[in-house]
Amino acid sequence: MTRPFIAARGMNVFYGDKQALFDIDLDIEANKVTALIGPSGCGKSTFLRTINRMNDLIANCRFDGSLQIGGQQVYDTAVDVVALRAQVGMVFQKPNPFPKSIFDNVAYGLKIHGLASSKSELQDRVEWSLKSAGLWDEIANRLDQPGNSLSGGQQQRLCIARTIAVQPKVILMDEPCSALDPIATAVIEDLIDSLREDYSIVIVTHSMHQAARISQRTAFFHLGRLIEAGDTTQMFTTPREEQTQNYITGRTG
Amino acid sequence: MKNAHIVARFDEDLSKIKTRILEMGKLVISQIKDASAALERLDASEVDRLIATDRRINGMNKDIHNRAERLIALRQPVALDLRQAILPINMAGELERIGDHAKSTAKLARKLSDAGAGEQVMRMVQEMSVLLQTMLAQALIAYSHSDIKLAAEVREADKEVDRLNKAVFAAALQAIRQSPAEAEALVRLILLARNFERGGDHVVNMARHVHQIVTGEDLKASS
Repeated sequence: MTRPFIAARGMNVFYGDKQALFDIDLDIEANKVTALIGPSGCGKSTFLRTINRMNDLIANCRFDGSLQIGGQQVYDTAVDVVALRAQVGMVFQKPNPFPKSIFDNVAYGLKIHGLASSKSELQDRVEWSLKSAGLWDEIANRLDQPGNSLSGGQQQRLCIARTIAVQPKVILMDEPCSALDPIATAVIEDLIDSLREDYSIVIVTHSMHQAARISQRTAFFHLGRLIEAGDTTQMFTTPREEQTQNYITGRTG
Repeated sequence: MKNAHIVARFDEDLSKIKTRILEMGKLVISQIKDASAALERLDASEVDRLIATDRRINGMNKDIHNRAERLIALRQPVALDLRQAILPINMAGELERIGDHAKSTAKLARKLSDAGAGEQVMRMVQEMSVLLQTMLAQALIAYSHSDIKLAAEVREADKEVDRLNKAVFAAALQAIRQSPAEAEALVRLILLARNFERGGDHVVNMARHVHQIVTGEDLKASS
């Protein structure tokens, strides 16, 4: 087994008195797509949001245990959360472009993190990001138009371009295709597959078949616990746990 | 199945495939039985009926294939469900081939006129037939109850069929030496025994499929 890039050990997360995650041990490998699956309220999105400390924004949310990215403790008090979120980008369920032009949506992160030293470098990196997100050919001649003038699928690819512009190590995706039609979904899925060459991707999805199609690793959560994690092929052919089998085959129990 | 699908129709579709396999298997067993009886009595009167029934068996194979294909396309099953949808296609194929062997057995009743020197050989061939019917019945029970222990017993029982096949060959060879005039009938019995031996192999494959449905392990790949 390759060395995990993200390693959770004995991880517990609480919202006030309510415990959302129980003693999670999970490895996320580099340059792979890891799908987090499980019924609503199982803790998969909570787990996702602990990786870039999005849960810090929720009052009363408490974390204990260990979470390391590339050997660094994410919950160390010395960690600069803004820098962390540049390393760990996030794409949300609903495309959420800024109310700015297509160009400025992508340039925004580069500017605030000071990642482009000149105008031409900024332009190059915006172009590279849009190309990497598979959007360039569709919008190259209208970069000054508002981001929200694009179709849903294009907006989601714009959000992905915005995320990868700052060259993160990890991309977190929270149901990135749930608001998209099947064609736009297929385009995003294809993009995710090509992005994993350069990034480690963790994706929350409610679609079993999407998890099976796009991920190499799958982790199944239920009632705040990690029931089983393994290679996606194994999880969808011969899951070890009956609870996993019941969930992926759509059975009660 | 301990847990039912949330979508009840999914369970109905899967269980229909299972029922069809069991019905097809039952019909194949009765074909082997009737064909062997016709052969033993050298009675050609049943042959046409048995040939017609074989066409029905072929139709059932096609029906199972179509049902499984539809279920895969519409429900996109995974894990156990996927194996429950795919492996019956193979199982129906095995049954269809056993059915073909039964048909050849029945046709032989037209060609043989008197067992004569081959009487002992015929007895062994009939013994193979009974064994094959028992193995097939057990394979179907193993499938119906997801019983991998019984499936393993079926695979083991095939050794006796193989032994009998060799014994038929040896006995027929000896009989040919003693009564060269009956060589044709005896060679036909050797070929028939080989049909039953092949039938045993098909049942073994079915038992392997049962094991694979339940455990996910492909015994053929690991053997």
